[in-house]
Amino acid sequence: MLGPNGAGKTTTISIMSTLVKPNEGEVNIAGHDLKKHPLDCKKNIGVVTQEIALYNELSAFDNLLFWGSMYHVSGKELKNRIEETFDLLGLKDRKNDKVKTYSGGMKRRVNIASALLHRPKILFMDEPTVGIDPQSRNLIFEVVEKLHNEGMTIVYTTHYMEEAERLCDRIGIIDNGEIIAEGTLNELRTLGSMKETAVLTYTNLTDERYKTIAKEWNDHQRIENKINFYSRNIQGELSKIILKCNEFGLDIQHIDIQKISLETIFLSLTGKQLRDR
Amino acid sequence: MIKLVKKDLKLFFGNKQDMMLTFALPIIFITLFSLVFGKGNTEEDNMHGIVQVVAGTSVMMLLFSVAGIGESLLNEKQEGMLKKLLCSPIPPGHILYGKMVFANIIAIIQLIIMFIFAWLVFGLDILPHLPSLILMIMATAYACSGFGIVLASFARTRQQVHGFATMIVLVMSVTGGSMIPIFFMPEIIQKIAVVTVNYWSIQGFYDIFLRYLPLSDITFLSRVFTLIMIGTSLNLIAFQMFKRNILKVA
Repeated sequence: MLGPNGAGKTTTISIMSTLVKPNEGEVNIAGHDLKKHPLDCKKNIGVVTQEIALYNELSAFDNLLFWGSMYHVSGKELKNRIEETFDLLGLKDRKNDKVKTYSGGMKRRVNIASALLHRPKILFMDEPTVGIDPQSRNLIFEVVEKLHNEGMTIVYTTHYMEEAERLCDRIGIIDNGEIIAEGTLNELRTLGSMKETAVLTYTNLTDERYKTIAKEWNDHQRIENKINFYSRNIQGELSKIILKCNEFGLDIQHIDIQKISLETIFLSLTGKQLRDR
Repeated sequence: MIKLVKKDLKLFFGNKQDMMLTFALPIIFITLFSLVFGKGNTEEDNMHGIVQVVAGTSVMMLLFSVAGIGESLLNEKQEGMLKKLLCSPIPPGHILYGKMVFANIIAIIQLIIMFIFAWLVFGLDILPHLPSLILMIMATAYACSGFGIVLASFARTRQQVHGFATMIVLVMSVTGGSMIPIFFMPEIIQKIAVVTVNYWSIQGFYDIFLRYLPLSDITFLSRVFTLIMIGTSLNLIAFQMFKRNILKVA
């Protein structure tokens, strides 16, 4: 779920994780109706909250022992799972240190670990990379990708475009409490009138040559010695453009392809940029 | 629920500051007050002073301790642990019951330590009265722990609990006889005192150590019963307020 602050991402997560009762609509978690069987839903979900919800005075290991036991995992099985999770998140060396001695990034990783011990089918991650160092961020990305590849469904909220682009199969763009678009990145790219751009820079672009090529191509714009060509599938059209340029004696100095990014999609759908980036 | 209590006990006994405030500080106060008020003209006066100081100070400090436990509930809410607990499959009520049990355990330990200290240092003769003392300690702990939880259930932030607790505990301690024996108080204060935990508890300890009432005495049992009723009422209010205030975390 991609959206600016205040869009309703956390509220949606809160509803799906049984914290807030929905005013209307239905939520099904792993085949269970949230209103009728909240307990069955809770057993199937893991929640990584925006806050680092850990006991600072306990060690990371003790924190995980506690959080695992809240999901009725216990004994040797829990300890084994904790060890596995520490391995996964690169925390093994400091597992017995108190959480208060950890960096922000390490705390975030323990916070994620605490939601994985009961092996949930669905993991809700509410902006799990806020305020952390690039190394921890990359590690979290790798963990999310690994969990996803292992078959876990992950609902991930963010207001960082690059995270959504890298991690998500399907993206829901949310604003003012409503999902305004939803689909794969490619599906979202086909929404509305958005087009990709090829910016060609020439060494010998004259008015005469521009007029010639302008006749061949409808959707374009000249900016000094550059021409922007617009298309829904610019890569497919690029060879044609280059052939025409050669035909008319235009000497190409540089080609820049601008694909439709989430930023453009968001701007196009909402008329505004993501705030607080 | 046991796991929640175990976690709280682990946090408590791993925190030196909490241990100091709960066990060492009351001992320091009891020692200081006993040196001032525990020196009468006769042996009976001395013992009267010691019982007043031990009972009064213990209950007052206990109320501060359980208010601290209430604060920890708000702390868990502010730092997101409560939200995470509510997402887990444990029944929400267990979070509160866990805190209540934890507060009771700490309160009982605190009172036991205070009376053992008074026995060893000031010669308070607790051994002949052990059954009555244990019963009164448990009733006092139950009533006081209810106070801490109800305070947390009403307040919105940890800071609010802290402010309210200081004010209410001091008022209850003055009117309930923790600081000054109740019979020195004006008649109106003596009438107001009956709404405080301090009054019933201190009177109960008087019954044991000064009036020498047996366990089966109706006056003594009525005080135990009153404390249990206060504790139960506070816990019921806390449970309702918990559902209304604390559970709104998202």
